[in-house]
Amino acid sequence: MSQDDTLQGRYRSIVDELAGALDTNDEAAFRGAFDRLRAQLNVEFNPELKRITADAQSALRRFREEARLEVLADHEVPDARRRLAHVVKLTEEAAHRTLDLVEQSTPLVDRMSVEAAQLLEEWGLHGSRQLAVSTMWPERATESLERAVRETEHVRRYLSQMLLAQGYQDLSGQIISSVIKLVIELERVLGELVALAHGDDTRRMPALKLEQTQPQPDLNGTGPHVPGVSRGQVVDSQDDIDALLASVAGGSS
Amino acid sequence: MSNAMKILVVDDFSTMRRIVKGLLNELGYTDVTEADDGNTALPLLKGGAFDFLITDWNMPGMPGLDLLKAVRGDAKLAKLPVLMLTAEAKREQIIEAAQAGVSGYVIKPFTAQTLKEKIDKILASKAAA
Repeated sequence: MSQDDTLQGRYRSIVDELAGALDTNDEAAFRGAFDRLRAQLNVEFNPELKRITADAQSALRRFREEARLEVLADHEVPDARRRLAHVVKLTEEAAHRTLDLVEQSTPLVDRMSVEAAQLLEEWGLHGSRQLAVSTMWPERATESLERAVRETEHVRRYLSQMLLAQGYQDLSGQIISSVIKLVIELERVLGELVALAHGDDTRRMPALKLEQTQPQPDLNGTGPHVPGVSRGQVVDSQDDIDALLASVAGGSS
Repeated sequence: MSNAMKILVVDDFSTMRRIVKGLLNELGYTDVTEADDGNTALPLLKGGAFDFLITDWNMPGMPGLDLLKAVRGDAKLAKLPVLMLTAEAKREQIIEAAQAGVSGYVIKPFTAQTLKEKIDKILASKAAA
Protein backbone atom coordinates (compact mmCIF):
# COMPACT_ATOMS: atom_id res chain seq x y z
CA MET A 1 0.00 0.00 0.00
CA SER A 2 1.51 3.37 -0.99
CA GLN A 3 1.53 6.31 1.42
CA ASP A 4 -1.21 8.02 -0.63
CA ASP A 5 -3.64 5.15 -0.09
CA THR A 6 -3.70 5.47 3.69
CA LEU A 7 -6.41 7.41 5.46
CA GLN A 8 -3.89 10.03 6.54
CA GLY A 9 -2.44 10.25 3.06
CA ARG A 10 -5.85 10.80 1.55
CA TYR A 11 -7.32 13.20 4.08
CA ARG A 12 -4.58 14.73 6.29
CA SER A 13 -3.73 17.69 4.03
CA ILE A 14 -7.39 18.51 3.38
CA VAL A 15 -8.29 18.33 7.07
CA ASP A 16 -5.26 20.50 7.91
CA GLU A 17 -6.39 23.05 5.32
CA LEU A 18 -9.90 23.00 6.79
CA ALA A 19 -8.53 23.45 10.32
CA GLY A 20 -6.21 26.25 9.18
CA ALA A 21 -9.04 28.04 7.40
CA LEU A 22 -11.18 27.74 10.53
CA ASP A 23 -8.36 29.07 12.72
CA THR A 24 -7.88 32.10 10.49
CA ASN A 25 -11.58 32.47 9.80
CA ASP A 26 -10.75 32.34 6.07
CA GLU A 27 -14.06 31.44 4.48
CA ALA A 28 -12.75 31.23 0.91
CA ALA A 29 -9.96 28.87 1.95
CA PHE A 30 -12.43 26.85 4.01
CA ARG A 31 -14.81 26.47 1.03
CA GLY A 32 -11.92 25.49 -1.22
CA ALA A 33 -10.74 22.82 1.23
CA PHE A 34 -14.31 21.64 1.71
CA ASP A 35 -14.81 21.25 -2.06
CA ARG A 36 -11.61 19.19 -2.22
CA LEU A 37 -12.89 17.03 0.63
CA ARG A 38 -16.21 16.49 -1.18
CA ALA A 39 -14.36 15.64 -4.39
CA GLN A 40 -12.22 13.08 -2.52
CA LEU A 41 -15.34 11.55 -0.96
CA ASN A 42 -16.99 11.34 -4.37
CA VAL A 43 -13.97 9.57 -5.78
CA GLU A 44 -14.11 7.02 -3.00
CA PHE A 45 -17.81 6.44 -2.65
CA ASN A 46 -19.29 7.09 -6.06
CA PRO A 47 -18.37 3.70 -7.56
CA GLU A 48 -20.04 1.92 -4.65
CA LEU A 49 -23.05 4.25 -4.89
CA LYS A 50 -23.29 3.60 -8.61
CA ARG A 51 -23.12 -0.14 -8.07
CA ILE A 52 -25.91 -0.04 -5.45
CA THR A 53 -28.06 2.18 -7.67
CA ALA A 54 -27.51 -0.12 -10.63
CA ASP A 55 -28.41 -3.16 -8.52
CA ALA A 56 -31.57 -1.46 -7.25
CA GLN A 57 -32.58 -0.43 -10.77
CA SER A 58 -31.91 -3.92 -12.03
CA ALA A 59 -33.98 -5.43 -9.18
CA LEU A 60 -36.85 -3.03 -9.92
CA ARG A 61 -36.67 -3.84 -13.64
CA ARG A 62 -36.73 -7.58 -12.95
CA PHE A 63 -39.60 -7.08 -10.50
CA ARG A 64 -41.52 -5.06 -13.10
CA GLU A 65 -40.95 -7.73 -15.72
CA GLU A 66 -42.01 -10.51 -13.36
CA ALA A 67 -45.70 -10.77 -14.25
CA ARG A 68 -46.18 -13.61 -11.77
CA LEU A 69 -45.78 -11.23 -8.83
CA GLU A 70 -48.44 -8.96 -10.22
CA VAL A 71 -50.83 -11.88 -10.65
CA LEU A 72 -50.10 -12.89 -7.07
CA ALA A 73 -50.68 -9.36 -5.78
CA ASP A 74 -53.80 -8.68 -7.83
CA HIS A 75 -55.55 -12.04 -7.81
CA GLU A 76 -54.07 -15.06 -6.10
CA VAL A 77 -53.27 -13.64 -2.67
CA PRO A 78 -56.66 -11.85 -2.39
CA ASP A 79 -58.32 -15.09 -3.57
CA ALA A 80 -56.43 -17.04 -0.89
CA ARG A 81 -57.70 -14.60 1.71
CA ARG A 82 -61.28 -14.97 0.47
CA ARG A 83 -60.97 -18.78 0.40
CA LEU A 84 -59.78 -18.87 3.99
CA ALA A 85 -62.60 -16.57 5.08
CA HIS A 86 -65.03 -18.87 3.27
CA VAL A 87 -63.62 -21.89 5.13
CA VAL A 88 -64.27 -20.11 8.43
CA LYS A 89 -67.84 -19.34 7.27
CA LEU A 90 -68.46 -22.95 6.16
CA THR A 91 -67.14 -24.46 9.40
CA GLU A 92 -69.16 -21.96 11.40
CA GLU A 93 -72.34 -22.89 9.51
CA ALA A 94 -71.60 -26.61 9.93
CA ALA A 95 -70.94 -26.19 13.65
CA HIS A 96 -74.17 -24.19 14.10
CA ARG A 97 -76.11 -26.84 12.16
CA THR A 98 -74.69 -29.54 14.43
CA LEU A 99 -75.53 -27.44 17.50
CA ASP A 100 -79.09 -26.99 16.15
CA LEU A 101 -79.46 -30.77 15.82
CA VAL A 102 -77.99 -31.39 19.28
CA GLU A 103 -80.36 -28.85 20.78
CA GLN A 104 -83.31 -30.41 18.95
CA SER A 105 -82.32 -33.95 19.95
CA THR A 106 -81.70 -33.28 23.64
CA PRO A 107 -85.34 -32.65 24.65
CA LEU A 108 -86.48 -35.67 22.59
CA VAL A 109 -84.04 -37.90 24.46
CA ASP A 110 -85.04 -36.32 27.75
CA ARG A 111 -88.71 -37.03 27.03
CA MET A 112 -88.01 -40.65 26.03
CA SER A 113 -86.03 -41.13 29.21
CA VAL A 114 -88.69 -39.60 31.44
CA GLU A 115 -91.54 -41.51 29.76
CA ALA A 116 -89.68 -44.81 29.99
CA ALA A 117 -88.96 -44.23 33.68
CA GLN A 118 -92.62 -43.28 34.31
CA LEU A 119 -93.90 -46.38 32.50
CA LEU A 120 -91.56 -48.60 34.49
CA GLU A 121 -92.83 -47.07 37.69
CA GLU A 122 -96.50 -47.47 36.70
CA TRP A 123 -95.83 -51.02 35.49
CA GLY A 124 -94.47 -51.90 38.89
CA LEU A 125 -97.43 -50.32 40.63
CA HIS A 126 -99.97 -52.24 38.55
CA GLY A 127 -98.60 -55.70 39.14
CA SER A 128 -96.31 -56.56 36.26
CA ARG A 129 -95.54 -59.98 37.75
CA GLN A 130 -99.13 -61.22 37.45
CA LEU A 131 -99.31 -60.09 33.81
CA ALA A 132 -95.93 -61.56 33.07
CA VAL A 133 -97.27 -65.00 33.98
CA SER A 134 -99.81 -64.95 31.13
CA THR A 135 -97.51 -63.61 28.36
CA MET A 136 -93.83 -63.06 27.55
CA TRP A 137 -94.50 -59.53 26.27
CA PRO A 138 -94.70 -57.63 29.58
CA GLU A 139 -91.30 -59.02 30.66
CA ARG A 140 -89.69 -57.96 27.36
CA ALA A 141 -91.38 -54.57 27.67
CA THR A 142 -89.90 -54.14 31.12
CA GLU A 143 -86.40 -54.96 29.85
CA SER A 144 -86.88 -52.61 26.92
CA LEU A 145 -87.97 -49.77 29.16
CA GLU A 146 -85.06 -50.35 31.52
CA ARG A 147 -82.69 -50.34 28.57
CA ALA A 148 -84.33 -47.14 27.26
CA VAL A 149 -83.70 -45.40 30.58
CA ARG A 150 -80.06 -46.60 30.60
CA GLU A 151 -79.28 -45.87 26.98
CA THR A 152 -80.97 -42.49 26.74
CA GLU A 153 -78.57 -41.45 29.48
CA HIS A 154 -75.70 -42.55 27.21
CA VAL A 155 -77.19 -40.65 24.29
CA ARG A 156 -77.54 -37.58 26.47
CA ARG A 157 -73.82 -37.78 27.32
CA TYR A 158 -72.90 -38.30 23.65
CA LEU A 159 -74.97 -35.24 22.70
CA SER A 160 -73.17 -33.22 25.36
CA GLN A 161 -69.82 -34.36 23.94
CA MET A 162 -70.97 -33.50 20.40
CA LEU A 163 -71.86 -30.03 21.66
CA LEU A 164 -68.40 -29.62 23.16
CA ALA A 165 -66.65 -31.05 20.10
CA GLN A 166 -67.99 -28.17 18.00
CA GLY A 167 -65.43 -26.05 19.84
CA TYR A 168 -63.08 -27.09 17.02
CA GLN A 169 -64.72 -24.31 14.97
CA ASP A 170 -63.59 -21.69 17.47
CA LEU A 171 -60.03 -23.05 17.64
CA SER A 172 -59.62 -23.65 13.89
CA GLY A 173 -61.35 -20.31 13.22
CA GLN A 174 -58.86 -18.47 15.44
CA ILE A 175 -55.91 -20.16 13.70
CA ILE A 176 -57.31 -19.43 10.22
CA SER A 177 -58.09 -15.83 11.23
CA SER A 178 -54.46 -15.31 12.23
CA VAL A 179 -53.38 -16.68 8.82
CA ILE A 180 -55.90 -14.34 7.15
CA LYS A 181 -54.29 -11.38 8.94
CA LEU A 182 -50.92 -12.49 7.60
CA VAL A 183 -52.32 -12.86 4.07
CA ILE A 184 -53.83 -9.36 4.29
CA GLU A 185 -50.41 -8.02 5.27
CA LEU A 186 -48.76 -9.95 2.43
CA GLU A 187 -51.39 -8.64 0.01
CA ARG A 188 -50.70 -5.07 1.09
CA VAL A 189 -46.92 -5.43 0.90
CA LEU A 190 -47.08 -7.07 -2.53
CA GLY A 191 -49.46 -4.37 -3.77
CA GLU A 192 -47.16 -1.63 -2.57
CA LEU A 193 -44.09 -3.31 -4.06
CA VAL A 194 -45.85 -3.60 -7.42
CA ALA A 195 -46.92 0.05 -7.17
CA LEU A 196 -43.36 1.02 -6.30
CA ALA A 197 -41.95 -0.96 -9.22
CA HIS A 198 -44.28 0.91 -11.56
CA GLY A 199 -43.47 4.24 -9.94
CA ASP A 200 -47.09 4.69 -8.85
CA ASP A 201 -46.56 5.45 -5.20
CA THR A 202 -43.36 5.49 -3.20
CA ARG A 203 -44.64 7.45 -0.26
CA ARG A 204 -46.24 4.46 1.42
CA MET A 205 -43.04 2.48 1.83
CA PRO A 206 -41.94 4.02 5.18
CA ALA A 207 -45.34 3.21 6.71
CA LEU A 208 -45.01 -0.33 5.40
CA LYS A 209 -41.64 -0.76 7.11
CA LEU A 210 -42.97 0.70 10.36
CA GLU A 211 -45.91 -1.70 10.53
CA GLN A 212 -43.72 -4.67 9.67
CA THR A 213 -41.55 -4.04 12.71
CA GLN A 214 -44.48 -3.85 15.14
CA PRO A 215 -44.85 -7.18 16.97
CA GLN A 216 -48.25 -8.61 17.85
CA PRO A 217 -48.46 -8.17 21.62
CA ASP A 218 -49.33 -11.34 23.55
CA LEU A 219 -51.60 -9.26 25.78
CA ASN A 220 -54.13 -9.07 22.95
CA GLY A 221 -54.01 -12.85 22.61
CA THR A 222 -52.17 -14.95 20.07
CA GLY A 223 -54.65 -17.74 19.50
CA PRO A 224 -54.46 -21.49 20.08
CA HIS A 225 -51.16 -23.28 20.55
CA VAL A 226 -50.03 -24.88 17.28
CA PRO A 227 -47.38 -27.63 17.71
CA GLY A 228 -44.13 -26.72 16.00
CA VAL A 229 -45.29 -23.16 15.32
CA SER A 230 -46.15 -21.47 18.60
CA ARG A 231 -43.34 -19.75 20.47
CA GLY A 232 -42.97 -19.34 24.20
CA GLN A 233 -43.53 -21.72 27.08
CA VAL A 234 -46.93 -23.31 26.83
CA VAL A 235 -48.81 -24.74 29.80
CA ASP A 236 -50.93 -27.54 28.42
CA SER A 237 -52.50 -29.35 31.35
CA GLN A 238 -55.26 -28.02 33.55
CA ASP A 239 -53.38 -29.17 36.66
CA ASP A 240 -50.30 -27.14 35.63
CA ILE A 241 -52.50 -24.10 34.99
CA ASP A 242 -54.13 -24.46 38.39
CA ALA A 243 -50.72 -24.79 40.06
CA LEU A 244 -49.42 -21.74 38.20
CA LEU A 245 -52.47 -19.67 39.16
CA ALA A 246 -52.15 -20.76 42.77
CA SER A 247 -48.49 -19.75 42.80
CA VAL A 248 -49.24 -16.21 41.66
CA ALA A 249 -50.50 -13.85 44.32
CA GLY A 250 -54.07 -12.78 43.75
CA GLY A 251 -54.98 -15.78 41.59
CA SER A 252 -57.00 -18.79 42.63
CA SER A 253 -57.47 -21.94 40.60
CA MET B 1 -79.03 -20.59 45.06
CA SER B 2 -76.07 -20.81 42.70
CA ASN B 3 -78.13 -22.28 39.85
CA ALA B 4 -80.11 -19.03 39.82
CA MET B 5 -76.91 -17.17 39.02
CA LYS B 6 -76.95 -14.64 36.24
CA ILE B 7 -73.98 -15.45 34.00
CA LEU B 8 -72.43 -13.44 31.16
CA VAL B 9 -70.56 -15.43 28.49
CA VAL B 10 -68.18 -13.37 26.34
CA ASP B 11 -66.63 -14.85 23.20
CA ASP B 12 -66.28 -13.52 19.65
CA PHE B 13 -67.16 -16.95 18.19
CA SER B 14 -70.90 -17.50 18.24
CA THR B 15 -70.41 -21.28 18.19
CA MET B 16 -68.36 -21.17 21.40
CA ARG B 17 -70.96 -18.94 23.07
CA ARG B 18 -73.65 -21.50 22.19
CA ILE B 19 -71.50 -24.37 23.44
CA VAL B 20 -70.78 -22.72 26.78
CA LYS B 21 -74.39 -21.67 27.15
CA GLY B 22 -75.52 -25.24 26.37
CA LEU B 23 -73.13 -26.70 28.93
CA LEU B 24 -74.22 -24.16 31.53
CA ASN B 25 -77.84 -25.11 30.86
CA GLU B 26 -76.93 -28.76 31.40
CA LEU B 27 -75.39 -27.77 34.72
CA GLY B 28 -78.63 -26.04 35.64
CA TYR B 29 -77.56 -22.45 34.96
CA THR B 30 -80.29 -21.14 32.72
CA ASP B 31 -79.93 -17.36 33.14
CA VAL B 32 -77.13 -16.90 30.62
CA THR B 33 -76.48 -13.78 28.54
CA GLU B 34 -74.02 -13.53 25.65
CA ALA B 35 -71.65 -10.80 24.45
CA ASP B 36 -69.11 -10.91 21.62
CA ASP B 37 -66.27 -8.87 23.12
CA GLY B 38 -65.28 -6.67 26.05
CA ASN B 39 -66.77 -3.55 24.55
CA THR B 40 -70.24 -5.06 24.42
CA ALA B 41 -69.79 -6.95 27.70
CA LEU B 42 -68.77 -4.05 29.92
CA PRO B 43 -72.00 -1.99 29.58
CA LEU B 44 -74.00 -5.19 30.18
CA LEU B 45 -71.99 -5.91 33.32
CA LYS B 46 -72.37 -2.37 34.60
CA GLY B 47 -76.11 -2.40 34.13
CA GLY B 48 -77.05 -6.03 34.55
CA ALA B 49 -76.34 -7.30 38.08
CA PHE B 50 -74.43 -10.35 36.86
CA ASP B 51 -73.17 -12.93 39.34
CA PHE B 52 -70.50 -14.57 37.19
CA LEU B 53 -68.44 -13.73 34.10
CA ILE B 54 -66.97 -16.27 31.68
CA THR B 55 -64.76 -14.64 29.08
CA ASP B 56 -62.52 -15.54 26.17
CA TRP B 57 -59.17 -13.72 25.87
CA ASN B 58 -58.47 -13.23 22.16
CA MET B 59 -61.29 -11.05 20.83
CA PRO B 60 -61.42 -8.06 18.49
CA GLY B 61 -62.27 -4.75 20.09
CA MET B 62 -61.65 -5.24 23.79
CA PRO B 63 -59.80 -8.49 24.60
CA GLY B 64 -60.65 -10.55 27.67
CA LEU B 65 -57.63 -9.39 29.66
CA ASP B 66 -58.66 -5.74 29.25
CA LEU B 67 -62.21 -6.67 30.24
CA LEU B 68 -60.87 -8.40 33.35
CA LYS B 69 -58.83 -5.32 34.26
CA ALA B 70 -61.84 -3.06 33.67
CA VAL B 71 -63.97 -5.26 35.92
CA ARG B 72 -61.37 -5.30 38.70
CA GLY B 73 -60.98 -1.54 38.34
CA ASP B 74 -64.69 -0.84 38.75
CA ALA B 75 -65.76 -0.52 42.38
CA LYS B 76 -69.16 -2.11 41.75
CA LEU B 77 -67.81 -5.02 39.71
CA ALA B 78 -64.46 -5.60 41.42
CA LYS B 79 -65.53 -8.72 43.32
CA LEU B 80 -67.30 -10.37 40.37
CA PRO B 81 -65.99 -13.93 39.81
CA VAL B 82 -64.26 -14.06 36.41
CA LEU B 83 -63.44 -17.33 34.69
CA MET B 84 -61.14 -17.02 31.67
CA LEU B 85 -62.05 -19.65 29.06
CA THR B 86 -59.46 -19.34 26.33
CA ALA B 87 -57.04 -20.97 23.92
CA GLU B 88 -54.23 -18.73 25.21
CA ALA B 89 -51.89 -21.18 26.91
CA LYS B 90 -48.59 -19.35 27.30
CA ARG B 91 -47.14 -19.34 30.78
CA GLU B 92 -46.64 -15.56 30.83
CA GLN B 93 -50.23 -14.98 29.70
CA ILE B 94 -51.61 -17.11 32.53
CA ILE B 95 -49.42 -15.23 35.01
CA GLU B 96 -50.62 -11.93 33.52
CA ALA B 97 -54.26 -13.00 33.96
CA ALA B 98 -53.59 -14.15 37.53
CA GLN B 99 -51.94 -10.85 38.37
CA ALA B 100 -54.93 -9.02 36.86
CA GLY B 101 -57.15 -10.91 39.31
CA VAL B 102 -58.71 -13.74 37.30
CA SER B 103 -60.68 -16.17 39.49
CA GLY B 104 -60.11 -19.23 37.30
CA TYR B 105 -58.49 -20.15 34.00
CA VAL B 106 -59.57 -22.94 31.64
CA ILE B 107 -57.80 -23.76 28.39
CA LYS B 108 -59.74 -24.66 25.24
CA PRO B 109 -60.45 -27.37 24.29
CA PHE B 110 -62.00 -28.17 27.65
CA THR B 111 -64.37 -30.73 29.10
CA ALA B 112 -67.77 -30.19 30.70
CA GLN B 113 -66.32 -31.67 33.89
CA THR B 114 -63.50 -29.10 33.98
CA LEU B 115 -65.94 -26.25 33.45
CA LYS B 116 -68.16 -27.52 36.24
CA GLU B 117 -65.23 -28.02 38.64
CA LYS B 118 -63.88 -24.52 38.04
CA ILE B 119 -67.27 -22.85 38.50
CA ASP B 120 -67.89 -24.86 41.69
CA LYS B 121 -64.44 -24.04 43.04
CA ILE B 122 -64.77 -20.32 42.33
CA LEU B 123 -68.20 -20.23 43.97
CA ALA B 124 -66.89 -22.15 46.99
CA SER B 125 -63.99 -19.67 47.36
CA LYS B 126 -66.39 -16.78 47.09
CA ALA B 127 -68.72 -18.27 49.70
CA ALA B 128 -65.80 -18.84 52.07
CA ALA B 129 -64.47 -15.30 51.65
